[in-house]
Amino acid sequence: MHPHEHEHADQSQSGESPGYYEIMETAVRELLIERRLIDAGEIRRQIEVLDSRTPALGAKVVARAWVDPAFRGRLLADGRAACEELGISFYDDTRLIVLENTDAVHNLIVCTLCSCYPRPVLGLPPDWYKLKPYRARAVREPRAVLAEFGTVIPDNIEIRVSDSTAQVRYLVLPKRPEDTEALDETQLAALVTRDAMIGVVPVTL
Amino acid sequence: MTSTENLLKTLPNDIGGLSAERVERVEHQLKPWEKRCHALADVLDFHKIINTEEKRRGVEALGSELISKLTYYERWIAAFANILFQKQILTPEDLAQKMDEVATRDGALSQRASET
Repeated sequence: MHPHEHEHADQSQSGESPGYYEIMETAVRELLIERRLIDAGEIRRQIEVLDSRTPALGAKVVARAWVDPAFRGRLLADGRAACEELGISFYDDTRLIVLENTDAVHNLIVCTLCSCYPRPVLGLPPDWYKLKPYRARAVREPRAVLAEFGTVIPDNIEIRVSDSTAQVRYLVLPKRPEDTEALDETQLAALVTRDAMIGVVPVTL
Repeated sequence: MTSTENLLKTLPNDIGGLSAERVERVEHQLKPWEKRCHALADVLDFHKIINTEEKRRGVEALGSELISKLTYYERWIAAFANILFQKQILTPEDLAQKMDEVATRDGALSQRASET
């Protein structure tokens, strides 16, 4: 198959001519491929990798930590190694720090400079995570930001905001909800949402 | 602090702590070209042609006017082009020529598709 066949199919579905920046993307990519600096197959494989990363992976990690205290310990000590233990590979050169919510501390993650995010375990970030209101305000008035997500944190609970970088990414380990003793690991994982692992909402039944 | 002093200390990306609007929980499904652009960014990083921090600085270097007017992936591809020029991997002429070629080819292709 010609490497760009399905991409053209995508364009023809919309029936629109590609825009200026889309043309620029195609041109940059094709020039780099022609000069053998990158390979067309690598782009296709990376698109498959991106498609394979969803918050379900992070949810699996969280549920395992809830049911397995030894795993939880390893996860908090070295997030990346513990995720790799569950078969989640890290395709980027990043460190993962897992932040545990407790009765005393609530964690929130942000990237004030751009959009750094634990992509290997959560997939791509939501748009609001990349936009100015969240990035600007999360570090200054986290309680007000959380309230906009419907999350009210009592004043006696400390809020810690962690600002991600190109090399260091964070994942929130939310609190396990009450009355979930009867649930197995798979059922627990189904409760864990992307937003709970960013820290903007709790996990609820 | 004077207004220019403040501008000097905070680059366009450096917005942590500023006041801003209410957070709207907007989501966005990536268009095919945006996903390709993301994959391109990752592949450029794997090969150490452009790493994540260079990409971030490249976006910063677009300046606040362009940053505010371009969409997320438009900023990325514009930054990549500039960085590749700076590294002398591509020239602006290479890119302009290739973009003309792609526009003619893909524009004609989608034109045909919409006629059928």
